[in-house]
Amino acid sequence: MDRSIGSSGNLDMSSLSDSDKRELQQFVMQEAQKATIQQSIHSLTDMCFKKCIGKISSGKLDKYEEPCMQNCVERFMDASHLVLKQLENMRTSS
Amino acid sequence: MDSLSTGSLSGGDAKTTIMNQVRQEAAVANAKALIEKVNEHCFERCVPKPSTSLSRSEEGCYSACMEKYMAAWNAVSKQYVSRMQREQSSAGFIGGGSL
Repeated sequence: MDRSIGSSGNLDMSSLSDSDKRELQQFVMQEAQKATIQQSIHSLTDMCFKKCIGKISSGKLDKYEEPCMQNCVERFMDASHLVLKQLENMRTSS
Repeated sequence: MDSLSTGSLSGGDAKTTIMNQVRQEAAVANAKALIEKVNEHCFERCVPKPSTSLSRSEEGCYSACMEKYMAAWNAVSKQYVSRMQREQSSAGFIGGGSL
């Protein structure tokens, strides 16, 4: 989403009512949030694919790979929370 | 459901046009990211020693790899979203829950 919305240049923004503008702002924020989530999913998939996927013999995830991918997501999130917790501890103990 | 090709843009049309454009750009960005990752991983896995052309087995590996990567993406997506929901419904948002 690196191109600006106005790139088409033919949109008359002045015709938007205030409620339209508010709605749009909310919509764009939601989309941005969705994009952030998708970005996290991309980087998690990238990381976990490396760790979990062995031989590429079929297109399906096998019975080890599927739970490995799930655990990988869960443990990564645990670990990132752990970092926050540790930092919090460091902050309060100093 | 809203058509993009209207002659003059009234307020509502401008709004839906922008929304559709944002949605579309988000979808394109997402697809690009996926394609980039698929290429990165599958080239690494399926073409360890590049020769003068892609062999049959390399091509077969590529299609399995693509399918597998997308299955992995879906598994991660499901797990990630359910984790988010669990965290949001538990008391603390970030610090909460047992580690």
